[in-house]
Amino acid sequence: MTTVVIQEARARVTVGIFADMADASTAAPPSGESAAAALEFLAEMSPDLRGAAILGPAGTVHAASGEEPERWGEDAAALFAAADEAEAAPVEQIHIATEQGEVFAVRNAGLAAVAVTERFALASLLLFDLRSTLRQLASPNFGGSGPPKSRSEDG
Amino acid sequence: MPPKPHRILLERVSVYADEAAAFMRRRRISRRPFARLYYPHGRSADHAQDSGSGAELFVAAGRLIEVAGKKPKG
Repeated sequence: MTTVVIQEARARVTVGIFADMADASTAAPPSGESAAAALEFLAEMSPDLRGAAILGPAGTVHAASGEEPERWGEDAAALFAAADEAEAAPVEQIHIATEQGEVFAVRNAGLAAVAVTERFALASLLLFDLRSTLRQLASPNFGGSGPPKSRSEDG
Repeated sequence: MPPKPHRILLERVSVYADEAAAFMRRRRISRRPFARLYYPHGRSADHAQDSGSGAELFVAAGRLIEVAGKKPKG
């Protein structure tokens, strides 16, 4: 049982580290091209991904997979609204697993990323990828000329 | 006559494969739908599907799954 306690403590500490990290500022919203490049890279990194979208603070869709980007914006806004109302506090991450698939959503640095995957996707990796994608998009150095860094490159 | 060493190895590997397959099967059967929300400073909360807040989350997630559609082949 000691192992379980240690793992829990480790997870808590790790999450705390990420929570305390300063997020990149969102001086300028990412361009549609850079957001699309980030989505493409995310799809390459996550074989279970069915579709994803990157949204701005007001629910603006910067990039989305499929042919209905507006619907991504509306439905993601509804998801975040329901999540914020659940405990009357703003959420950072959402993970919902259903019989039909899994939904992940992350808010970071004024941006939001939503992803839908097959069942039993590796949640921690996907959430990490979504978060790092948003961090890179929000950083002033990311101009969309290249894809975000991979997990191994990301310190 | 003792079994040949490579047969022992093969049997051992197939036992582990069977165990892993059974574990995955049990996991698929036993894993129920859930909604988990993560808040700043590492706090998280689970919401049951039959609770009021949970139901709303599942409805919103269902819409997103519908928009995403099926995974493209290849």
